Amino acid sequence: MSNNLRLPPVFQPTTYRAFMAGADRIVATIRPTLGPVARTVAIQRPLDQRGPELLDNGGVIAKRIIQLPDYRADVGAMFVRDMLWRLQEQEGDGTATAAVLFQATFNEGVRLVAAGLNARRLQGFLEEGIEVILNELRRQTVPVNDAHHLAQVAFTVCQDRELSDLLGEIFDIVGGYGRLEIREGSSRGLEREYVEGIYWERGLLSRQMVADPQRLRSELEDAAIVLSDLNIQEPQQILPVLVTAFQAGLKRLLIVADEIADSALSLLLANSKPDHMQILAVKTPGFGREQQADFLVDAAVLCGGRPFLRATGDTFKAIRSEDFGRARRVWADLRSFGLIGGMGDPRQLRRHLAALRAAHSETDDLALRGKLHERIGRLMGGSATLRVGGVTVRDIEARKELAERTAAAVRGAMQEGVVPGGGVALLACRPALQRCIDATHDPEARAAYRILLRAVAEPLRTIVANAGYDPSDALAEVRMAGPDYGFDVLTGRVTAMGAAGITDPANVVKAATYAGLTSAALALTIDVMVHRTEQPAHATPPSPARRKRL
Amino acid sequence: MTRITQAATGLGAIQAVAASPTFAQDGLCFAAGSDGLRVSTDGGIIWRDAYATLGLRAPLTTAALAFSPSYAQDRVQRAEGDRTIFAGAVGGVLRSHDEGQTWRIASLPSPPPFVTALAVSPHYLEDGLVFAGTMEDGVLRSWDRGDSWAAWNFGLLDLNVYALAISPEFARDDTLYVGVDSGVFRSSNGGRAWRETSFPMECAPVLSLAISPNFAADGVIFAGTEASELWMSADRGVTWRGLSGWEAPGPINALMLAPTDAQELAILAVTDAALCLSQDGGASWQVQCSAELRGVTCAAAPAGVEPGAQVLLGTGDGRVLVCAL
Repeated sequence: MSNNLRLPPVFQPTTYRAFMAGADRIVATIRPTLGPVARTVAIQRPLDQRGPELLDNGGVIAKRIIQLPDYRADVGAMFVRDMLWRLQEQEGDGTATAAVLFQATFNEGVRLVAAGLNARRLQGFLEEGIEVILNELRRQTVPVNDAHHLAQVAFTVCQDRELSDLLGEIFDIVGGYGRLEIREGSSRGLEREYVEGIYWERGLLSRQMVADPQRLRSELEDAAIVLSDLNIQEPQQILPVLVTAFQAGLKRLLIVADEIADSALSLLLANSKPDHMQILAVKTPGFGREQQADFLVDAAVLCGGRPFLRATGDTFKAIRSEDFGRARRVWADLRSFGLIGGMGDPRQLRRHLAALRAAHSETDDLALRGKLHERIGRLMGGSATLRVGGVTVRDIEARKELAERTAAAVRGAMQEGVVPGGGVALLACRPALQRCIDATHDPEARAAYRILLRAVAEPLRTIVANAGYDPSDALAEVRMAGPDYGFDVLTGRVTAMGAAGITDPANVVKAATYAGLTSAALALTIDVMVHRTEQPAHATPPSPARRKRL
Repeated sequence: MTRITQAATGLGAIQAVAASPTFAQDGLCFAAGSDGLRVSTDGGIIWRDAYATLGLRAPLTTAALAFSPSYAQDRVQRAEGDRTIFAGAVGGVLRSHDEGQTWRIASLPSPPPFVTALAVSPHYLEDGLVFAGTMEDGVLRSWDRGDSWAAWNFGLLDLNVYALAISPEFARDDTLYVGVDSGVFRSSNGGRAWRETSFPMECAPVLSLAISPNFAADGVIFAGTEASELWMSADRGVTWRGLSGWEAPGPINALMLAPTDAQELAILAVTDAALCLSQDGGASWQVQCSAELRGVTCAAAPAGVEPGAQVLLGTGDGRVLVCAL
């Protein structure tokens, strides 16, 4: 036996028992964080002498739990942890919901398998039932757009009124794909700033191009733009640009290139005079050829003109005046540059954005989704910055993390809509599941749907219990009140959740449901556990990160 | 249509006309074009230079005009607060509180935008909001009665604005629309951000927009295109359909609406060759063509669009026509 596999494999019935013990341990840790009256979990910091970390996010808590002392239980714990981590990476929220759904489904499933049902068949019927639940969630989804409703969605996530109102306003302005940067602020509260136009983090290639020494910034109006990823080593390579611009009567010029050697820069500086022609040069944004190519495609659509690409052997030798892009305003400083009022074809820009949006919604690759999101956000023509302040560094870090998590949820709600909150959307799936039970006589199928029938009530029960109310009483009251009604734990009353603005982002609820239930169904088929002693696998995030379309 | 009277304004081409809401009594009207702004106080017969007091060295191209919403009421009451006339020019928005005798200029952010459309909030007296649509610079917004202006173009992917339309319930729904080179965009937060509508790009540019006076209840908005198509949305601009039965030729340069009764809308669509009037919400049309109507570029209907109401029409050769529907 290799060093990696020194511990003996685990067989049934120990497998289920040990797996459940580990999964229960991690779910019990995360369960108190579900709902608006959530409690925090204190996690000791092993590497320094500071006080424990106080967390109320299931995903972050899951990441902090590295290993359980019992190697058999550890497999179950790490299985759940991996599922929660993945969910946190994908949606930024919903981990506590997924955890309680997992536990309710898996534990009941184990009981029934122990009683003689076939685990594999049970898994199959559970997956059919999950599809029924997802369809019911889709049916309940409503779009959300205005600032008031967006703020309500934010509030259900963060329970911070000031932050919610600001995020509602920001997303009402920048839109679901809009660009939002969340930074640490210097004041004690929250501040937001809106920036018109588009900018990239690539600055001027020469300090001598700075026209305003106080603001360390240069601005051009009605500028012509040369887009490229070329390496300009000799003055002769850039000379055709200047000649063509001069012949076309262009007075203000922005040159984007991957690199411009000092001798070529000197030529540009020598020809840059306010009464003759103002010239700015910046480095092509993006790391690597792929990102640079994306920039060039987007900028060419936005501003018009033709991008000059190293990959296709382009040079400036045959540049024509129609190859220049145009923008109403261009600015650049030593760190970044931006465009306002790109003068490309608006129809082409709208078609390009529609194509990017379609690619964004179709791809399962999280990294690609992130890149597409960033490109779409830029092209929408504006950005917002939220500065998060506080009294201590820890305050600021915690509120910033909360703001990021809430922003992700609001963005998801804008893109995919909302469902009634407080666990009501899942509870409303019960009639559909009951119909499935009534329609079959197969014992495994009926058992699977019954498991789900109970599991979908578990988030509501947990939210109520976390707030200090009796879950059974609350559930009975909610059932009496009818569809869309739930228990508002902030007021202690049964309320029409949608009408009261208590909603959850549909993407988060669907993803949490899918993750929790399918993981539980899969876990039921585990018969043998083999423990490996390699630690790094537990400490790294699941990869490759992919997002299932729900 | 009854007799048409016409007068030369001295402008090369007229791009906007506007008439006082009390035009029938005071005969005050303006015509704007590439050579400046003209004013008439006799119902459009005699025109004089409205910018004369500015002492301009070169003509100031003006392409948009708007009266403040309660101009008529304040004029009768001789109140000063809201008797404002706005003129959108290259690089600035001018406003006058004395029937166009003197003007104050508010500069717009550089580079100088070309203002093509103006819209004043129906609750201007309270909110002081004015919007300016521009060619290449999108929409500028003033929240202090036209003193200062800032661009608000979040989500406005097409910055070439031809038409602006503001909801009559703006104070409640914060809604306005722009007709642009590639379609129609909508803002539901007072012009701070814009969203695409499903108006088909291939049918744009949209030259004119008109919102139903019962917009809060019926959600109806009309859009006229350069390709002579009239489009309608009955769900606040979410979906659009081309109006069947519409056959008048030429770009639809102006659209005006008025309620005839609780159910139907009266619509006046002005093309460069005809006046088209519908009194049943666009189901049927009376098209009026004549040689005198050739080259109409803009229109104003101070007394609404009922039969017999007076309309002013500006033409591409500098004439202003006054006729009754």
